Amino acid sequence: MSILSALTEKPWEPGVIPQPQSRGREQTRQSGLKVLLMVVSALFFLFIVAFLMRSQYPDWQPLAEQPGHPLFNKNQLWLNTVYLLLASAFLQLAKVNRPYFPQTGLILGGLFSCAFVTGQVVFWQQLHQQGFIVSINPAVSFFYLLTGLHAAHVSVGILAWLVAVKEAIRSDANNKRTKLRQYIDLCALYWHFLLGLWALLFTLLVSKPDTYNAIVEFCGLGV
Amino acid sequence: MEDEVDQDMHEPNSFLTKYVWSQDHKVIAIQYSVIAILVGIVALVLSGLMRLQLGFPGSFDFIDPSAYYQFVTMHGMIMVIYLLTAIFLGGFGNYLIPLMVGARDMVFPFVNMLSVWFYLLAVIVLMASFFVPGGPTGAGWTLYPPQAILPGTPGSDWGIILMLVSLAIFIVAATMGGLNYVTTVLQARTRGMTLMRMPLTVWGIFMATILALLAFPALFVSAVMMLFDKTLGTSFFMPAILSMGQQLDHEGGSPILFQHLFWFFGHPEVYIVALPAFGIVSDLISTHARKNIFGYRLMVWAIVIIGVMSFVVWAHHMYISGMNPLFGYFFATTTLIIAVPTAIKVYNWVLTIWHGNIRLNVPMLFALGFVSTFTIGGLTGLFLGNVVVDLPLSDTYFVVAHFHMVMGVSPILVVFGGIYHWYPKMSGKMLNDTMGKMHFWGTFLGTYAIYFPMHYLGVLGVPRRYFAYENYDFIPDSAKDLNAMISVMAIFVGLVQLIFIFNLIWSLFKGEKAGDNPWEATSLEWQTEATPPGHGNWGKELPVCHRWAYDYSVPGYEEDFLPQNYSGEEEEKT
Repeated sequence: MSILSALTEKPWEPGVIPQPQSRGREQTRQSGLKVLLMVVSALFFLFIVAFLMRSQYPDWQPLAEQPGHPLFNKNQLWLNTVYLLLASAFLQLAKVNRPYFPQTGLILGGLFSCAFVTGQVVFWQQLHQQGFIVSINPAVSFFYLLTGLHAAHVSVGILAWLVAVKEAIRSDANNKRTKLRQYIDLCALYWHFLLGLWALLFTLLVSKPDTYNAIVEFCGLGV
Repeated sequence: MEDEVDQDMHEPNSFLTKYVWSQDHKVIAIQYSVIAILVGIVALVLSGLMRLQLGFPGSFDFIDPSAYYQFVTMHGMIMVIYLLTAIFLGGFGNYLIPLMVGARDMVFPFVNMLSVWFYLLAVIVLMASFFVPGGPTGAGWTLYPPQAILPGTPGSDWGIILMLVSLAIFIVAATMGGLNYVTTVLQARTRGMTLMRMPLTVWGIFMATILALLAFPALFVSAVMMLFDKTLGTSFFMPAILSMGQQLDHEGGSPILFQHLFWFFGHPEVYIVALPAFGIVSDLISTHARKNIFGYRLMVWAIVIIGVMSFVVWAHHMYISGMNPLFGYFFATTTLIIAVPTAIKVYNWVLTIWHGNIRLNVPMLFALGFVSTFTIGGLTGLFLGNVVVDLPLSDTYFVVAHFHMVMGVSPILVVFGGIYHWYPKMSGKMLNDTMGKMHFWGTFLGTYAIYFPMHYLGVLGVPRRYFAYENYDFIPDSAKDLNAMISVMAIFVGLVQLIFIFNLIWSLFKGEKAGDNPWEATSLEWQTEATPPGHGNWGKELPVCHRWAYDYSVPGYEEDFLPQNYSGEEEEKT
C-alpha cells in the first residue's frame, strides 16, 4: 500500500480487515537500522552544511591543494579507504554467498574495519606530529571532527559485529543460522552506508575551495 | 512468527528486572515520566526564584545577576528538553504507542531500556552543574556563542561543558527511544490497525519523533562544535575577540552559523512538543465530548504538513541577527503558511465540541484550557512572524508571553490532561476529581494572570533577560507593580502544582478503583484484559482492529462508543 493511498483512506467507513503485513524480526530490525541510518545521514548532512558555510570565511585554508597542506599526501587515507572497501566487500560476500562464506566473510569484514579505524588513528598521529593540531585552522578542526565521528560510527559498528560473531560461533554448534543471516544482512547494510559516507567525506575534505564555493553558491548557503 | 514474538518477551521475574532494569514499555514510560516531573519541579522552583527577583528587585540577597541568569538558562533548557520533550516522547510515547497500536511492547525493548538510563544520565550530568565551581551556565537557553563560553558569563568554566555534554547524552537517549517509537508504529501494528485507523495521539507522537530524529542532530552538531571551541580552542563559532582586555586565540569563526544550526533544531523542537500535544488533545476532546473527531484525515494531514514545514521556518528566530532581506521575506511567508494547518486543527477541535455530549471531566477541562491558551499563543505568533512587527517586539516581554503561552502553558496543560486521562490505566486508580479541578482552575487562571499582562509589558518595550529595571524612563512604575503581581501569581501557580503531586501519590493508595475503561473510550489501550495491563499487554491473543478510534455516539447502537476491537456490527445493531 503506497503512502498516498494509506493517507487517503476513509477510516470511518466500514472496511475489510487487512491481512497482517509481514513483520518478522528480520524486517523490524531492517526498518530500525534504516531509521538509524536516516538519523546518521541527517547528522553528517548538517556537519557538511556547517563545513561548507564555514569554508566561506576568509581565514579558511584548504587541506590538500599544495605540498605542505595536511592532506596533500593522501597515501595513508587511500590505504584506509581500501580497508573499509574490503570490509564492506567481505560483508557483502558473507551476505550473498551464505551457504559457503558467512563466517569467513563476517570475520574478515570486521578485521578490515578494525584495520580502518587503526589506520585513521595512525593518520591522526602523523598529522599531529607534523604540527597540525586540532585548533590550527578551521579546516583541520573539521577534518578531525568529521573523520573522528565517522570512525566512532565504524567503532559502534564493530561492537555490533562482535554480537554477530558471537552468534556465528553459537550457530556453528546448533546449526541454526537464521539469526546469524539477519545479523550479517544488517552489518552489510551498515558497512555499505559507512563506506559511502567515507567516500563522500574523503572527497569533500580533499576538494578545492573553488568546489566549495560553487556548491555554496548553487545551494544558496552563503551567510 | 508468534513463537518468535514470545521468545522476545522476556517475562521479568525479579524486582530489579521488573522495576529497575525493566524492558517493559509501561515501566520505562513511568520511569521517564517520574524523572521528567522531578526535573520539571527543579525548573519550576528556578522560575519562582527568577520571579522573586523581577517582582521584588533587591529583596533577596542570594539572587545576584549571575544567579539570575543561571536560573533563567536552566529553567528554559530543562522545561523545553528535559521535561516536555522527555515526557511527551519518553513518557506518553512509550506508554501509549504499543497499547494504542495493539503491540506487545516496543520492537527493541533493550534499546528502549538503554534510552531511559541515558536520559537519567543526561539529567544527572545537568544537575551536577549546580555543584561545580562557577555553577551552571547562565548563557540563556539558546547558548549563543561567543558569550556562552567566554569568561564573565556565569558557568563559563564547567557549567557550559556539562550542559553541552548533557545535551549530547540526551540526544543519544532520544535517538534510541525514537528508533523504537517509529519502528513500532511502522512494523508492530496489530491486524487491522491501518495507519489511518491509528488514534491521533499516535500520529502526533510518531510525527514528533521523526522531527526529533531529524532535528536533534542539528543540536548535536552545534553542541559538539561548541565543545571543541571551548575545550580544544578551535574556531568553528568563535570570531577574533577581545575578552577582558585580552586577545583570545580564536579567529574567523561565525556565531551566526551556530544560530542557524541551533534554530534548525530549535524550531522543529517547538513542534516536537506541540504535535504530541495536538494528538493527545484531539483524543481527549473526542472522548469526553462523545463525538468523533471532526475532519480526522485533515487532522492527520495537518500533522504531517506541520511536521514537514517546521524545517523551513527556523530563521524567524533570527530576524534581528541580520540576514538577506529575501530570506526574511521567505521565512516570514513560510511562518504564516504554517499557521494554516495549525488553524485547521483549532477549528476541528472546536467543531468536534460543537453539539457534542460534553462531559466536563478533569482531562476535558485541561483539553479545553489548551485550545484557549494555544489560540492566544498562536495568534501572537502571527505578529512575531512578520519581520517588521518582530523587530520592535523582539527581546521584549511580548516574546516571553508568546512562547510561554504557545509552548509552555499549552503543552503542559495537555501533559496534565493526559495524565488525568491515562492515570487510571497506568495505576488502576482514578485521580481525585476535586483536587484535579482545583489544580486545573488554579493552573489555567493563574497562568493567564502571569502571561496575559506580559504582552502589555512587551508592547511597552520592557526588555526581557534584564536582571533589574531601575532607572529606565520608558518603564512606568505601573509596570513594576504589574511585575510584582505576576510574581505573586507565579508563586501561586507553582504552589498549585503541589496539589497535583499530592493527588498523584494519594490516589495511588486511596484513589477510587478505575475499572478497565472508566472514560468509556474506544481506543485499544482501554480494551486490555487487565488494568494496569500485564506484561505483554494482551494476554494470549493480540487484539484485532475493526474500526477507527472515533466511533462515538454512532446512530443505531445502544452504547455511545464502539471500541476499536469491536466487530459485531450486525448482531448488536438495534
